Amino acid sequence: MEELILKLKKEIIEVLNLEDVKPEEIDANAPLFVDGLGLDSIDALELIVLMEKNYGIKLKDASQGKEIFKSVAVMAEYIQANRTK
Amino acid sequence: MKIRKYCKIDREFVVIDGALYPFPKEEGTHFLTALYRALSVDYPKFHKMDTLSKLGFLASELIFREEDENILMFDNMAIICFNRSSSLEYDTKFQDSIEAQNYYPSPSVFVYTLPNIVTGEIAIRNKLYGETSFYITPHFDAVQMVRTVENAFQDRDTQSVLAAWIEAYEETQEVLMMWVEQGKDGGMPFLAENINTLYNKSF
Amino acid sequence: MKEIVITGTGIISALGLGKEQTLNALTNNRSGIATLHYLKTAHTEFPVGEVKFSNEEMKQRLNIPETEVTTRTSLMGILAAQEALQQANLLTPQYALLHPKIALISGTTVGGMDKSEQFYADFLENNSKNDYIATHDCGTCTEMIAGHFGIFFLLETISTACSSAANAIMTGARLIRDGRADIVVAGGCECITKFHLNGFNTLMILDHELCKPFDAHRAGLNLGEGAAYIVLESSEFAQKRKIEPLCALSGYANTCDAFHQTASSSDGIGAYLAMKNALSNAHLQPADIDYINAHGTGTSNNDLSEGTAIERLFIDQIPPVSSTKAFTGHTTSAAGGVEAVISILALQNNFIPDNLNFKEKMPELTFIPSQENISHKTLKHVLSNSFGFGGNDTALIFSK
Repeated sequence: MEELILKLKKEIIEVLNLEDVKPEEIDANAPLFVDGLGLDSIDALELIVLMEKNYGIKLKDASQGKEIFKSVAVMAEYIQANRTK
Repeated sequence: MKIRKYCKIDREFVVIDGALYPFPKEEGTHFLTALYRALSVDYPKFHKMDTLSKLGFLASELIFREEDENILMFDNMAIICFNRSSSLEYDTKFQDSIEAQNYYPSPSVFVYTLPNIVTGEIAIRNKLYGETSFYITPHFDAVQMVRTVENAFQDRDTQSVLAAWIEAYEETQEVLMMWVEQGKDGGMPFLAENINTLYNKSF
Repeated sequence: MKEIVITGTGIISALGLGKEQTLNALTNNRSGIATLHYLKTAHTEFPVGEVKFSNEEMKQRLNIPETEVTTRTSLMGILAAQEALQQANLLTPQYALLHPKIALISGTTVGGMDKSEQFYADFLENNSKNDYIATHDCGTCTEMIAGHFGIFFLLETISTACSSAANAIMTGARLIRDGRADIVVAGGCECITKFHLNGFNTLMILDHELCKPFDAHRAGLNLGEGAAYIVLESSEFAQKRKIEPLCALSGYANTCDAFHQTASSSDGIGAYLAMKNALSNAHLQPADIDYINAHGTGTSNNDLSEGTAIERLFIDQIPPVSSTKAFTGHTTSAAGGVEAVISILALQNNFIPDNLNFKEKMPELTFIPSQENISHKTLKHVLSNSFGFGGNDTALIFSK
């Protein structure tokens, strides 16, 4: 799990162009949206693409992201349970 | 109409009101990123923008950074941008992502496939609620720019205009942004010949 | 200030070609949205508001040789402009008697993208369809429409996403007030392409079923396509050339929401200011507005933001509101033109188009959109909203 969390952090930094953020600066249990990293609705959509592209998870509705993107840890758990690749 | 302040950025130089703005260029860092770092502004969204928006954002930062917020009549400022290649840089990028071989279209790329997103980015940064528009012309056309800005002043609500030529495609990355006001005193007349001089002048 | 009047209108959309077919569909609650037929794409799951002609059929109607290089966007543009020019008496030789300076201001964002999609692979390998690749840019589309008629002294192309055509109309009015043009044909045109169908899909704002503007369970928009133009001139000039105005363009305003590249602010500040400034530009009070033709895309975000702005401005005197996008689909850059023509039809015929597919009130709003085709009220002032990505918000007011 730790490994997946670190991998996810790196992927998030890359796809969301978080140029000035390092993986260790992201708290795995802190909320991803609401202050934190200053992410917006487009970033959420980009995370949905990330889950499909890298883990074969397809979300039908953008609102499903709300629960999944609570924190990197929650996201990693969801991926672990639902990944198809 | 007069130019109260202007900023010009291209791959070689950054000029603010006729003076060169020196900043350290690092090997391997894009010159726009280097300029962003030199300005020490905290706006991480910058890194997510397309080149058009980065150019517009940086030019407006350079124009407004030393202005007293209280004297800026932001509510009544229009933003009018022009270019030749629209958002072709990101259009191409998005088109590549919907090709069948590697079909993962990116929402954050699609967002920038509209030329007028840059006017929105400048407005968001500076909380400008006035008019914004984007015109596509076959080439840099100072006469057309003057006409269009003059037209915007037909609305009595409009007190000043942030007018810019912003082009970002292939080898060209350039912006000439002018803060234009009504009246004559305290600035260079906003005339086609002056705009052409500013655009063509090298430093 | 010169009064700006409208002396001609023309439209093509999923509802048909021309005002008569459009009015007929609107008054009979017949939507033009259907399964995808003309665009060649894998995404056939989305309902769309396509213009029900192939490019070849449009060429035939216009007597344009089959071999001539055109785009779907410009063909629709020519058809709509033709109807507007005809009504304004600008296609007969008499039009030239006063030597009017006529401008064409056209909004588009997609331009010739349809042809680029079709021929880009060929362009890379064979270089044999470069005539089509050259039609890619937005300005070419305006030039093609102008070239068909040969009466325009000034062309302008505006690209501000889904408010493009409304901004073209506003720009046209200013050109006349400024004395730069006697007559302006203003509006917009846009065909559906794979490019923006995919783009809207990545933003997850396309409804897989028929769109339901202002409904509690709305799930996104249906894309549409079309073109529409209106002919603007000063009332003096119209009088001089003895043409009866259809109505006036009494107010307009453009503002910026200054919130996000694509999302609208939750308080709808941009929309609120656009409507408020348009009213003040027209010297009208909120209570004077008899009908609001809303932007109403059917996305969760737009309808809440726009609805909130309407409540803030009109408070307890909210006039009938409807979105006609469940009839036409969202015609993007053409929407401001399409809805200007629909608003003018509503004014002339004293009817309020139904907000199709509405079932349940949005819990956040106090009002519900207009139902059952109200046609008993005399309309004097109609407000039409068009909001684009980039926070680019425009409101137009048509009056008689």
